Amino acid sequence: MDQLLAIVVFLSVLFLLLGSGVWVGLSLMGVAYIGIEFIAGRAAGGAMINTIWGASSSWTLTALPLFVWMGEILFRTRLSEDMFKGLSPWMARMPGGLVHTNIVGCTVFAAVSGSSAATLTTVGRMSIPELRRREYPEHMVIGTLAGAATLGLMIPPSLTLIVYGVSINESIRELFIAGVIPGLVLASMFMAYVAIYALVSPNYKPIKEPPMSIVEKFKNSAYLIPVILLVFVVIGSMYYGIASATEAAAFGVIGALVLAFFQGSLTVSSFSESLMGAVRTSAMITLILAGAAFLSLAMGYTGLPRALADWIATIELSRFELLMALLVFYIILGCFLDGISAVVLTMAIVEPMIREAGIDVIWFGIFVTVVIEMAQITPPIGFNLFVMQGLTNHQMNYIAKAALPMFGIMVLMVFVLIAFPELATWLPDSIRQSG
Amino acid sequence: MGKSVRKILDGMYLAGGVAAALCLIAIVCLIVLQIASRNFGFAFRGGPDYAGYAMAAASFLGFAYALNHGAHIRVSLLVSALGRYRFWGELWCYGVGTAITSIFAWYACNFTYESYRFKDISSGLDATPLWIPQLSMAIGSILLAICFWDNLITLIMKREPNVLEGSVDEPGEEA
Repeated sequence: MDQLLAIVVFLSVLFLLLGSGVWVGLSLMGVAYIGIEFIAGRAAGGAMINTIWGASSSWTLTALPLFVWMGEILFRTRLSEDMFKGLSPWMARMPGGLVHTNIVGCTVFAAVSGSSAATLTTVGRMSIPELRRREYPEHMVIGTLAGAATLGLMIPPSLTLIVYGVSINESIRELFIAGVIPGLVLASMFMAYVAIYALVSPNYKPIKEPPMSIVEKFKNSAYLIPVILLVFVVIGSMYYGIASATEAAAFGVIGALVLAFFQGSLTVSSFSESLMGAVRTSAMITLILAGAAFLSLAMGYTGLPRALADWIATIELSRFELLMALLVFYIILGCFLDGISAVVLTMAIVEPMIREAGIDVIWFGIFVTVVIEMAQITPPIGFNLFVMQGLTNHQMNYIAKAALPMFGIMVLMVFVLIAFPELATWLPDSIRQSG
Repeated sequence: MGKSVRKILDGMYLAGGVAAALCLIAIVCLIVLQIASRNFGFAFRGGPDYAGYAMAAASFLGFAYALNHGAHIRVSLLVSALGRYRFWGELWCYGVGTAITSIFAWYACNFTYESYRFKDISSGLDATPLWIPQLSMAIGSILLAICFWDNLITLIMKREPNVLEGSVDEPGEEA
């Protein structure tokens, strides 16, 4: 009974701090300190610093700021213009037309950037005005962009997967490779939706593109070469086992700098802005990670993760039921917390649970990522909604409504993942066997 | 008087941010060296450890700078909903933040001093005396605590904190 009381106090303090608006990383640190000092009755200070220092000075973690920096560099290049020029000739004749550039553009940019807001702003900066000029239905332009930008979280490099991998001590490289196929499947599902919508809806009458010869199309595609090279450097080097995630991140930063240099967009101010932007974002994430590492330690003292895993085992949930429960749990959590906080906050509890249930942790990483992606476009706290609001000046509700079909598609994706787990496990298994 | 203090404090946070940025560049260089040593067969021992120290320094030294730019994430739903009572909500948040970061800074300095006193050496190949890299944690955590005290006092005196509320139109301010 004592343990139950301890757990209730612990969780109440946690939600009080988080809910009242105390910074996420500090909330986690604070509740962990209280938990060890007052509930477990031990000196918390030394344990706190030991854990935080260990979690912060990690080689694996270095991939995180580097991928952030890479995205910041690319954001300040002409990449978005180039991608639109290169992609649009091929999309113009498809049912749904240039709205597909939103999705394909996001998919390509997601492969060089780890964050969905960076993906959204980079792609949207170019595609929103261009699509509006051609009179595409506004809600389709906004909705598909908000939805497809979340691919930034799934397609490697992905900050969410780095954070997940660091929290549960699994290979970042395997997680990255696992995200490739599900990311592409999800992108195709978005595209199928756009195509069907365009064929069915009577109001889908954009201004047609002037016809373009095949030679011209290929000529325009040359604009895509730099970004494709960069994708190959980052994902290819990991796939072929040449580089770990951290090394691929360093290649990526150098590649992005080279690309910016040849485009002439590498100036002293763009370089330092990208660097300082990366410092801010990575400091934000590492503060949460530091807090989370300490929180996991404190949770261990309360016995909550173990108790919960045991309890789950006794009520004999089937694998499917457990996943459904987690799906609902993460969707609700995602309404109020950002993706990274939601992952690190819960992993201490969820990890023993899924290991106990015999669920593949790499697969589960992809599962969580899809769910976190949904959280990006659900009100009241959905980061892509905020970013989109800044980009378009639309009301939050309007954007959320426009993105709702994408939310539905992601829910569908979750079930596809459960039905066909190989989507996420086949590629990492194959590199594990070969290498 | 007030203005020059403001300038000095903001300058300190910025200096932390710049130091963190240099650490990011150092990480890239260390990784490149590491890859080169593997492929060209020269010895470069402890590369991953040094990169880890630079990683820690990049985080800790950047905390205050990130806070000053409103980059740290919080659930601001309730605080914004308070309307004209928002001040009290912010007071609570900055108060709690100040308490936690002060405790953190105290123990971080203590820990680093102990490493120095007991001459703790890294167990990795680098064999670095641990207090040297840990200094970044001590300094960064003090900076963060100062930044919180600064904001708490500013909040009480001016009814609003020094921190610019997070702007999400920049690509970075997100997870």
